[in-house]
Amino acid sequence: MVSRRVIQNLTSEFRDSFLAKLGVALVVVVVLVAIFAPFVAPHNPTQQNLDASQLPPLGFTQVEQKTTSEMVDGELQTVTVNETVEAKLEHPLGTDGLGRDMLSRVIYGARTSLIVGVLGTLFAAFVGVPVGLIAGYYRGRVDDALMRFADVSLAFPSLVLAIALIGLWGRASVPVPDPFVALGLVSGMPETFVLPGTVVVVVGIVNWVWFARIARGEALSLRDQEYVKAAKALGANDSRVVLRHVFPNAITPIIVLATVQVAAIILLESSLSFLGFSGTTLSWGFDISQGRDYISSGQWWIAGMPGLAIMISVIGINLIGDWLRDALDPGIEGEGGGA
Amino acid sequence: MTDPDLDDDVLVAVRDLSTRFFTEEGQVNAVESVSFEIRDNEVLGIVGESGSGKSVTALSIIDLVESPGRITQGEVWYRDAELAEEFRDTNASVVGDHLDLRTVPERVRGSLRGSSFSTIFQDPMSSLNPSVTVGEQIAEAVEVQRRASANPRRTRSRTAGYGLGQMIVDAVVPSRSYTSEESHARAVELLEQVGIPDPADRAEEYPHQFSGGMLQRAMIAQALAGEPDVLIADEPTTALDVTIQAQILDLLRDLQTEEGTSVVMITHDLGVIARMCDRVGVMYAGEIVERGRLEDVFDAPVHPYTQGLLGSIPDLEDPAPRLQPIEGNVPSLLDSEMPEGCYFADRCPKAMQDCLEPIAEYDAQSGSPEHAVQCVLARQEFDPALALHEDGDAEVVADE
Amino acid sequence: MSQGRFVAKRTLQGVGVVWGVVTIVFLLRFITPGSAINAVAPLDATQETREAIARELGLSKPLYVQYGEYLFDLVQGNMGFSYIRGQEVTSLVFSKVPATVELAVAATVVAIVLSIPLGVVSATRRNQPVDWLATLFSLAGISTPNFWLGIMMILVLAVQLGIFQTSGRAVAGVTVLTSLVGPRSFLDTLVLWLQHITLPAIALGTYFTALITRLTRSGMLDELGKPYVRAARAKGLPETLVRYKRTLIGGAVITEAVFSWPGLGTLVIRSINLRDWPVLQGSLIVIGTSFVLVNIVVDVVYAYLDPRVVNE
Repeated sequence: MVSRRVIQNLTSEFRDSFLAKLGVALVVVVVLVAIFAPFVAPHNPTQQNLDASQLPPLGFTQVEQKTTSEMVDGELQTVTVNETVEAKLEHPLGTDGLGRDMLSRVIYGARTSLIVGVLGTLFAAFVGVPVGLIAGYYRGRVDDALMRFADVSLAFPSLVLAIALIGLWGRASVPVPDPFVALGLVSGMPETFVLPGTVVVVVGIVNWVWFARIARGEALSLRDQEYVKAAKALGANDSRVVLRHVFPNAITPIIVLATVQVAAIILLESSLSFLGFSGTTLSWGFDISQGRDYISSGQWWIAGMPGLAIMISVIGINLIGDWLRDALDPGIEGEGGGA
Repeated sequence: MTDPDLDDDVLVAVRDLSTRFFTEEGQVNAVESVSFEIRDNEVLGIVGESGSGKSVTALSIIDLVESPGRITQGEVWYRDAELAEEFRDTNASVVGDHLDLRTVPERVRGSLRGSSFSTIFQDPMSSLNPSVTVGEQIAEAVEVQRRASANPRRTRSRTAGYGLGQMIVDAVVPSRSYTSEESHARAVELLEQVGIPDPADRAEEYPHQFSGGMLQRAMIAQALAGEPDVLIADEPTTALDVTIQAQILDLLRDLQTEEGTSVVMITHDLGVIARMCDRVGVMYAGEIVERGRLEDVFDAPVHPYTQGLLGSIPDLEDPAPRLQPIEGNVPSLLDSEMPEGCYFADRCPKAMQDCLEPIAEYDAQSGSPEHAVQCVLARQEFDPALALHEDGDAEVVADE
Repeated sequence: MSQGRFVAKRTLQGVGVVWGVVTIVFLLRFITPGSAINAVAPLDATQETREAIARELGLSKPLYVQYGEYLFDLVQGNMGFSYIRGQEVTSLVFSKVPATVELAVAATVVAIVLSIPLGVVSATRRNQPVDWLATLFSLAGISTPNFWLGIMMILVLAVQLGIFQTSGRAVAGVTVLTSLVGPRSFLDTLVLWLQHITLPAIALGTYFTALITRLTRSGMLDELGKPYVRAARAKGLPETLVRYKRTLIGGAVITEAVFSWPGLGTLVIRSINLRDWPVLQGSLIVIGTSFVLVNIVVDVVYAYLDPRVVNE
């Protein structure tokens, strides 16, 4: 449980820290944009328009070489003309190779990243925290088994383990109806949101050990607290002791870890979709891999914009993580990125 | 099954209880063949240096010895007519109204914690959960017992009517849904009973807003929540200032008189024993070396260790000459390092050749069967010719 | 505990972890959708080929026999046969190890060269512009996907400026050294090597530069002046190294993919795309085992530097 003292620390640290405010602002913006994507996005992110493909972002112009051939006096002449492609107001971040609006794609990409980040972290926490609490509380064989298993699974880098599991299990995805579109509040936007189910499960599986380790550490130290002994001596059973006296006092380091893990999982998800191991085609990592093909011809924004979006979101979350860590000082450092 | 030979006024009888810790360094005999009784309406003191096994003895009674520790033998008889009836025709040992708690299922022993046996720990500052208000914690202890007693003992479940899911929700979201209005009212009553002013307001405060003495009172209130038959107080005053110590001891004494609760007072402080107890057991290296009525043991101590302890109490009127600490330290209790004979022999100023032999049974002293001593000296006078330690510092021990 | 016993204990633990790694990798074969034979045989294999492979692998035998044989083969250095590539897995996997090690070492060099001065400057000139810049850099560094950084560097430094190559590994680092005596021109070889390795090394090294900068900075700020500063470092450093090593391999996989670097990472991704499970299993075992080995070496070296660790 979050006590009053914790909240006091958080608010005073927040008041003093510019970076904490910046982080919260960034994350709030990204979260709002992700939730209200159908209202915010100017275009349908999946709508192709080959007449307006590869438009640069506002403020940039792109010089394209166009080769035309025509018959002049019975001879085939090729003429190379430098054509300037101007940015268009309706596509402020430009368009991709198929003429899809980059701004809309970046906005919808935020949904994928955040949902995978949050669901993956929740999944990891729901598995890891109970296992860690039980292992730390009971110690003995359960604990030994957990720690050995943690050693083994930490021998594989998260990305390697994740692509191996996705490679074995396939890339299942679940189409979820977009509530705003279903209610008829907006039209012309995608009717479903594709949730990359396997990715959520896999990032949870490769990250639960971190939660188990931190919960175990907390349980190990809290179980020896006098008030835990006292509660037991006064008749509280094990589940009551763990849930009432151990878990609530272990929750702050778990929250800090969870924050760091959301950032790490967003980076992991973008790596996976960059490598083509995601189940959705509407994500930042996927767009970066598409944009990679246009790098050699100089169209940097197709890969550049989604990358900037990742950077901004992850910076925001990491700043919040720093704020929580400074305010609560649970003495942990999460894994960080690990892409 | 041995015949426990129990009087009617014996509430708890511990017989031959041993608790061992199985550590990487080896087996530690923390409690060794300890026997004593807790009678109705009395205060039993258990005194000894730190590391002598007092606290483990207390934990052994309520079956809360933690791994790697384990109770390896012994009986803990408890008088409860209802329970005895329930288990009379089972594998459990039952004699009259007494039954041996070591032979009943763990579930039953668990159900007695809080309701029959309550415990107060040494450090009040850390004995309350820092993130829950004092009143809420006491109300919870009340509620745990209320819910338990609402169910037949056989099917007792501490979570009755309160599922695991609800508990998880409560753990995350601060809420009061576990406790009821009645248990909160009872918590305030208990706080008042232990002498906390403005109990209704103080109940809303967090432990860090309480002073040490107030916290120990709150701890006692929490321990009384289940209206226990036995209150085990493990060094309840050690962490407190001297003036507060006296107040807490008076409070315990008063409660004992008013409520008729038996108290087990565990302490290293003979002053506390002298002030509080009706009977006393002296522990050394996991054994009770001397036990009996307070006046018998204090006026006519037989065991040189008891004599030494009494000698080390500062006498207010004549402090300097009597202050004689016992030399040496409590042995390690490692099984492999324990001597065959008396454990105290290497520190004992009156050790003799016979002390190196395995020790026999307890001997009655002072003409009272209750005053029992485990020492060669209970049978024979000290003979300097047979002394083990040649420096002859027998005079160190005050000879009454 | 003596140093010798510590080394022995640590090694024994390492063997246990490697055994766990091997067991999990063995079991991966059975969590594949479809039968284990599908995990091994090429997709277009005929029924006879499948049966032959099944016989060869002993797939009809009880699980524990298969497991025993698998372990037995592994101990002899036999990690199976890739029917898709028609190659021994062991030689294939180990042929890719040098490229990955080279990349990892280069990235580590980049990280160390850049991060220590950054961290020290940042901590000693606290709240000055330099500190702000270093903080900003390290924050951006741990928040940037390194594959994206790689692509952006390709854009600027390879495509626009043409200084570096966009992909591949033309010469091995070892070849640069042998060219000192060999027939090739040393300078040409060195330049060619640098043209290829610089971008991937920076792309991979940036994250670690940022990570180490943050750790050195917070480490120095928090601990300066406290009596337990050295004890805290003593406990913190191995943990940092372990995390570094773990994320380094993960990062190498994706950096290799961006720069078509012919190492273990590329092999892992390709074998998944080809559904070449024996190669995937072999790569996982090599990655997991090398991680365990490096941890043991780090711990043991550390135990010699700081004997207090032994008694932890």
